[in-house]
Amino acid sequence: MVLAPTVWAFHFVFCYAVMSVACIKLGAPDIARLGVAALTVIALGIIGFLGWRAWVQWNFRPGDNYKHDRPTESQRREFLGHGGFLLSIVSAVGVIFDALPIFIIESCI
Amino acid sequence: MTDSRTSSHPAPTEEEQAARPVGTYPPTQELLDAPDDPQARAEREAQLREAWKTPRGWRYLSAVNNTEVGAWYALSAFGFMLCAGVLALLIRVQLAVPDNDFLSADRFNQFFTMHGSAMMFLFAVPMFEAISILLLPAFLGARDMPFPRLSAYGYWCFLIGGSFVLGSVLFNVAPKSGWFMYPPLATEQEGIGPDIWLLGLSFIEIASIAAAVELIVGVIKCRPPGMRINIMPLYAWYVLVVGVMILFAFPPLIAGDFLFELQRSLDWPFFDPDRGGDPMLWQHLFWIFGHPEVYIVFLPSIAIAAMVVPTASQRPIVGYSWIVLSAVGVGFLSFGLWVHHMFTTGLPSLSLGFFSAASQAVVIPTGVQIFAFVATLMVGRVKMIQPMLWIAGALAIFTMGGLTGVMVAIAPFDWQVHDTYFIVAHLHYTLFGGLVFPLLGGVYYFYPFFTKRMMSDRLGRISFWTTFIGFNVCFLPMHLTGLMGMPRRVASYSSDMGWDWLNLLSSVGSFIVATGILIFAWDLVRPKRDQPLAPRNPWNGGTLEWSHDVPAEAWGSRSVPYVSSRYPLWEDDKFLERLDGGRFYIPDAPEGKRETLVTSAVDAEPQGALPITGPAWCTIWAAAFTGGAFILPVFKLYWLASLSGAGAVACVVYWLWTATAQVPKAPDRDVGLGLRLPVYVTGFRAPGWWAMFITMLGDATAFASIVFGVFFFWTARPDFPPEGAAHADATLIALSALGFVLAWGATITAREVNRRGRQRAARALVGAGVLCTLGAAGAMGLALWLPGMAPSSHAYPATMYALGVWVGAHSGAGVVMLLYCLAGSWAGKLTPRYDADLVNTTLFWHFLCLMGLVTALMMGVFPRLAS
Repeated sequence: MVLAPTVWAFHFVFCYAVMSVACIKLGAPDIARLGVAALTVIALGIIGFLGWRAWVQWNFRPGDNYKHDRPTESQRREFLGHGGFLLSIVSAVGVIFDALPIFIIESCI
Repeated sequence: MTDSRTSSHPAPTEEEQAARPVGTYPPTQELLDAPDDPQARAEREAQLREAWKTPRGWRYLSAVNNTEVGAWYALSAFGFMLCAGVLALLIRVQLAVPDNDFLSADRFNQFFTMHGSAMMFLFAVPMFEAISILLLPAFLGARDMPFPRLSAYGYWCFLIGGSFVLGSVLFNVAPKSGWFMYPPLATEQEGIGPDIWLLGLSFIEIASIAAAVELIVGVIKCRPPGMRINIMPLYAWYVLVVGVMILFAFPPLIAGDFLFELQRSLDWPFFDPDRGGDPMLWQHLFWIFGHPEVYIVFLPSIAIAAMVVPTASQRPIVGYSWIVLSAVGVGFLSFGLWVHHMFTTGLPSLSLGFFSAASQAVVIPTGVQIFAFVATLMVGRVKMIQPMLWIAGALAIFTMGGLTGVMVAIAPFDWQVHDTYFIVAHLHYTLFGGLVFPLLGGVYYFYPFFTKRMMSDRLGRISFWTTFIGFNVCFLPMHLTGLMGMPRRVASYSSDMGWDWLNLLSSVGSFIVATGILIFAWDLVRPKRDQPLAPRNPWNGGTLEWSHDVPAEAWGSRSVPYVSSRYPLWEDDKFLERLDGGRFYIPDAPEGKRETLVTSAVDAEPQGALPITGPAWCTIWAAAFTGGAFILPVFKLYWLASLSGAGAVACVVYWLWTATAQVPKAPDRDVGLGLRLPVYVTGFRAPGWWAMFITMLGDATAFASIVFGVFFFWTARPDFPPEGAAHADATLIALSALGFVLAWGATITAREVNRRGRQRAARALVGAGVLCTLGAAGAMGLALWLPGMAPSSHAYPATMYALGVWVGAHSGAGVVMLLYCLAGSWAGKLTPRYDADLVNTTLFWHFLCLMGLVTALMMGVFPRLAS
């Protein structure tokens, strides 16, 4: 369930590192922007995969009870799938948000 | 139906068999309905009452029961909050009129520093821990927390440390550079103020981490049978998330404190730019802690709201999964925002944009839970019970704080209002709305659970409206004061600035807030002996805490229930009868021991009935000596401090030796409902293993923060490492790495060999492990010392030495643990069958070996590559 936000966390840390090194050590904003873009594509790919897996695990059928409040193993599995699916959406939004500045800001200053 | 557990695993060995549950699980309807003998029931009840008896008279102080420790904790934190509130009032008196000389500038600085520090470190986080220690076992139908003595130890550490830090203000020696202690101001400050802050608060942070570890283990391992992760109360979800956040947020600050104190006492220049240091490192480490901290105090209070809202609406919460998503999502995203406190420090604008965007993103999960609450209220039949009033007020105020938060997350806006009263207003809106209001509502809500009496409805409403109005009168004008340019932390201002009436209004408001809080405080402590006992479930809540005993019993739960829904009291009408009749698990204490059920992490299947610790004095002694080890260095009494530290270790060893992982008389016991459970478990079934794992995760985070420091210097400084600098000796570093790997290997092999019954070989291996560790640590020390690296000359050798000190101290701990196992093996406390101590030591060693290897890379390889 927490894999997608973990991907967000790694994306975040790597972006921060790439920006710091590229901007401060090398003074090359384009490398920073390209690096972040590449990381973002990779992160979104992984999150998309995790989200798809969680969606399958959630096993959502329209009209079903999806409160997942029964004490059975399948309800627990579906609950974790639901949580994982929602978290991958939030993580994807987080990753996209984090990457937005590279479209707007062209310099390191 | 029988042996449902064992059948699912392939051919367990005989020893594994002994550690497995035997019998029926889950319980059948017939077992649940089985009649019982009233006389036997009374006997069992008497056994249980005797085992859980709270000590009387002066021995009361040795109590470790969660209800006692939690109450002391909460009252102490509230006491510190009132003191910090008085400081706030004095600050407001000073600022009420222009050019005031009520306080000197110096004293004003001490007051605002202590106001912030005390509210954050002595009230907000400890209060969460206190309330959770009080409530969590009840939510989980558990007897107590998994490590009651650890809670007591944490409490006494908190009390000693808190009194020390806050007391400094009475002697005019308090820290005075603001609650975030920026260098160089704080590193250069004369006197002992910064040392009091650094050492005193590090001490409390360690106690906080101890409590966090306990809460996490409580949620993971002490849920009642059947309470799968999808039906546990939302409060437990929040406690889990916040515990994990504490685990990753506090260690960077501890690492920062460690570096800071090394600079203050040994002059190692981490934050001194003249010698290769950088004050920005402190800001990073502080805010990597500081921003998650905001959510660490906010989420537990929202957790209270998540319990009050369904009760007020008289229906299950809407969007349980969504709230879990929101808690977990906030837990993660809140770690990505710290730089928004540093927008004005000249970082690259690309980084600013990045952190600004991350700060906006956290609003999404935060908003989701508020919508879920509103939805629950909309579809339910709301009874405006008094606690709900506070929650409603909290949502309103917090939302306003959140909106200004979105504003200041935008870098250009932040540049305008940075360090002005706009920020003061924003942070008080988030903290009052996100912490104080839900907390007070929570106290009104849970008071009948805590004390079996009700607080006054009328006083509560008066207190709410006074506080609510006072708060807005005090802080709403501050937005404007800030926009008009008044900087925070100024002791006085000239009347030409046009800030007079706004400040006067705020000061008046602050006294109205104080009145409201005092009304609450009076209602809290006024004698209620003549008042009738409260009904058992006064608000008609659906969760387990309202199955408490009225009048109070110390056993926590008469029997540990089998739970099959999120709101057992609403959905299972035979639940209370079975619980009270002792017809669930462990309804007795045949050996007179305190016990708790341990269940699996995800599906809460029973795994063991473990003894837990009872009243003790050694925890208080351990806390006192630990206090000495942290407090005495403030006065440069290093030898006494070392002695005190040794005393603390001795107390802890005594406590572990006499009370934990004892070899049981019989391997398992009948826990009721046709189930037998082992009374000793090891590995990931055992709470002790989880506690070690979680503690070491936190510890590794602190270590990672120091490693981050090395990389930070490397990116931020052109002279790191300086040209021609001496590096650590490569051969010795390689030897040191080898030593750590050998010691690690010896420990693992010892565990395996011991399990196979070859205890002498295991002892020899443990002994070899000790020697390898000493050799590895010694080689690392020599590797730094022989090339003549001088830590006070430049930040490069200083960080290398800091890594060395860190690993050296951990090696010491590793040696103590190995020796403890060795002694245990000789004394018959550690046997091939009962080897929890060695298993946990091995777990510690995985982390220590990793730290040793990373340090070797950082010392031996990284500088040569970087230069």
